[in-house]
Amino acid sequence: MNWNAILPELIVSLGILLTFLLELFLKKEYVKAFYLVGFATLFSAFISTFFVRVPAEMFFGGFSVDSLMLVGKMLLIGITGFLLLSAYDFFYKKNSVYGEHPYLFLIALLGLMVMLSSNNLAIIFVGLELASISMYILVGLFRGNYLSKEGAFKYLVMGTTGTSMFVLGSALVYASTGSLKLGTFAGGNSLFALGVFLIISAFALKVSSVPFHFWTPDAYEGAPTPTTSFLATVPKVAMYFLLVKLTAGLFSGFENWGVILSIMAVASMFYGNLMAYAQKSVKRLLAYSSIAHAGYFLIALTYTDKLLMGSLLFYVFVYALATLGAFTVLSVLEKKEGWTHHFLDFQGLRQEHPVLATAMAVFLFALIGLPPMAIFVGKLGIFMGLMKHSAWILGVLFALASVISAGYYLKVIVYMFLYKRERQMGEARLSGGEFATLITSALGVVVLGLFPHIVLNLIMRSL
Amino acid sequence: MENLLSLAIFLPLLNAATLAFIRDERFAKLSAIASSVVVFIISLILYLNFDFSKEGFQFETQIPWIKPLGISYHVGLDGMAVSLILMTALLFMAVFVWSIRVEDRPVLYTALFLMLEAACIGVFSALDLFLFYIFWEGMLIPMYFIIGFWGHERKVYAANKFFLYTFFGSLFLLLGLASIVVYGLFQTGTISFDYFYHLGLDYPLALQMVVFLLFGLAFAIKVPMWPFHTWLPDAHVEAPTAGSVILAGVLLKMGTFGFVRYSLPMFPEASKYYIPLIFTLSVIAIIYAAMMAIAQNHMKRLIAYSSISHMGIVTLGTFAFDGNALNGAIYMMVAHGLSSAALFFAAGFIYDRIHSYNMNDLGGLAKYVPTFTILFFVSGLAGIGLPGLASFVAEFLILLGTFKLHPIWAFIAGTGMILGAAYFLYMFKRVMLEEETISEHRREKWRALRDVEVHHIVPFVLILFSAFLMGLYPAPFVKIMEHTTKLVLGG
Repeated sequence: MNWNAILPELIVSLGILLTFLLELFLKKEYVKAFYLVGFATLFSAFISTFFVRVPAEMFFGGFSVDSLMLVGKMLLIGITGFLLLSAYDFFYKKNSVYGEHPYLFLIALLGLMVMLSSNNLAIIFVGLELASISMYILVGLFRGNYLSKEGAFKYLVMGTTGTSMFVLGSALVYASTGSLKLGTFAGGNSLFALGVFLIISAFALKVSSVPFHFWTPDAYEGAPTPTTSFLATVPKVAMYFLLVKLTAGLFSGFENWGVILSIMAVASMFYGNLMAYAQKSVKRLLAYSSIAHAGYFLIALTYTDKLLMGSLLFYVFVYALATLGAFTVLSVLEKKEGWTHHFLDFQGLRQEHPVLATAMAVFLFALIGLPPMAIFVGKLGIFMGLMKHSAWILGVLFALASVISAGYYLKVIVYMFLYKRERQMGEARLSGGEFATLITSALGVVVLGLFPHIVLNLIMRSL
Repeated sequence: MENLLSLAIFLPLLNAATLAFIRDERFAKLSAIASSVVVFIISLILYLNFDFSKEGFQFETQIPWIKPLGISYHVGLDGMAVSLILMTALLFMAVFVWSIRVEDRPVLYTALFLMLEAACIGVFSALDLFLFYIFWEGMLIPMYFIIGFWGHERKVYAANKFFLYTFFGSLFLLLGLASIVVYGLFQTGTISFDYFYHLGLDYPLALQMVVFLLFGLAFAIKVPMWPFHTWLPDAHVEAPTAGSVILAGVLLKMGTFGFVRYSLPMFPEASKYYIPLIFTLSVIAIIYAAMMAIAQNHMKRLIAYSSISHMGIVTLGTFAFDGNALNGAIYMMVAHGLSSAALFFAAGFIYDRIHSYNMNDLGGLAKYVPTFTILFFVSGLAGIGLPGLASFVAEFLILLGTFKLHPIWAFIAGTGMILGAAYFLYMFKRVMLEEETISEHRREKWRALRDVEVHHIVPFVLILFSAFLMGLYPAPFVKIMEHTTKLVLGG
């Protein structure tokens, strides 16, 4: 057996056990230590990915890694690492230091990594559930905060629905093909079609696409901000890496998959973008923006095409960087006394926090899709992919939705830069970890825009 | 020589970057003037060394950049680009001199204008579609903040409108880019964003028709052509003087530049097919905008509408498919860049002194600011195309070329130009003359006015000198522009 294949997962699991034990012995003041252990774990896991020889199979084919999924894991580990760095100070200042945080993040990551490393629906399910359950807890971990509990509960109920759809879908697929492995099709079989349809719905829920998006704004708003930034980045990246695999290995067995995905995609784009205008809280606005982005991403899955898939994965990654940055800015600001994320709180932010405001502007301009920020390369790639299949209507709708989205991102920028500060609030200082995260994501977004091939090559080569 | 062009693009950017570390007001202003002078000298050297008898682009540099997508850093100049870059460098120099007295956040102000300068020169010199798009969008953020920070009362509205309108066009441009790149991929099996690679591809008519519209939308918004012009008056009215100057002088030219550089050579059949559409929109723009200009009370709004009208003449000449008309159109881009810049400087001077653009608040100024009166009047004459000034040559060439093939359109457009004289003289009358009708109180105020100072005179002199030069001795300028005409129309 090739034990290398499971090396990153093993290291993450060890790290989880270690933080779990440490939490029993260490006092609350040493909260930083948990996060540092978590970061060290992720760092070694990241290094270990270089030692994985792909493609590899273990456990009688139940666990398999190919180069694309390995790239996926590297990106996931990287993002989670920076997320941990940005998180500790927030929980410390908010007086809700729980040792559970670092290892729950790690468990969720572990689940997603397991999910990526299988071609078997049952094992994908195990990974997915491991990640989901830890995320339900993470959302609710602002004990004593009503919104947090409400968000967690909504997420739990909706998420469980998604899970059951996934299970039922897998069962139907199994019933029609006799196998849970990806890549076995039963063409023209209505049971199979229904199974695929259910699985698509389940993933639509996980990536918060219309019509399964209802949990998103509440969970995003209610969760502690670092958790929100986790929810908005790491699982999303993982889901799309998985979806790329599923599109080739499962969805394409059902001839109308493209139509269903396009309808959902278009609905999400417009619903998300239009609803974002009605929001008064920037955090909630970003939640709706992530619904809209789910639409942009799903559009790329309507054809099995290397160019589309490659651009999609690149797009998701840089989107995750920009979102991580934006939520980190929010979590720094939330350390202020009385901060609510309302637009009026942001008014004239430039005067009080020029660095934070500039960083936020970089991330928002990136999300709009302006060059030289990287998301524009993703957009260009998806445009090219759509044009390759002469999908003019989808292309034009995508362009229109992007224009609509520019308005509400600009609104945040206008409040931060063009209005005068009126509210006075307490201080908010950047911790070292938050600074590192902000710098890395801002640089990443810009550098990857000018030199996208650093990551794009990695993805394209392994597709 | 080849590297000089890249230096002209990156020097302002470098200067802007140093301002992030050295946040000193004096350093910012002086270094900006210095670097813009250097850029101007570079572009003058390029202009003088430009060999118009040689076919093809010159001063080319090509460095591989994003290999898997076939993107390279590829810049080079043709006759049109080198002329426009010279004008751009001149205007930015003028703007930095003019802005020497800015007090509100001067370092940021300078840095944004420097970024804008880099983007503008980049747009004119890019020979790679990807690079072009980056520069094209690169001017959006600086201009947005220039309007948003230093604008007047409704600045936020104007900045947003400017941003969204432009962004709307650019996304369709991006969609168009994507589709021709993919077409290239199907035809040759390689992805490339290179301009010459795409010139070599013969797009089928159906693709040309669609992509022409996608590109055309972006360019038409930028020009702006009727009915996409509504952002321009708002942006001009709210922008600070220097912003208006660059907006009218340089940014609008990007649209017509795009038509000549990309639409005509890449989609020749579609361009011919859409002639009636473009002509209709151009003529509507010429007449309608001129009439709107007459109806304005706000000086900047009037000049903005006059810009729309003049840009209509440019698009008319561009799509006449005639050597003279195209020469004229390119001449007009430069001439209008100069004249509208001078007029916006004039409006800016009045605002500096009296804090109003409203013509009802003005009147009878001529006696109190005599030097300014002359400068203002000459700028206006440059705008309406009096013989001896640059616009005259341009309008003459355009009408000459258009008249051969499309006499009726040319006739209608010609009448529009008469309106041009009307609105300028009307504005001049209401702002500068009629001293006997103004109240004693106002006269009292006017008496305290200071006439133009050095930092006002220098920009005017630079611009008006060029306008006279181009008006009195057009031959060498036309020769260089003809270089592009030959490339585009062939032969």
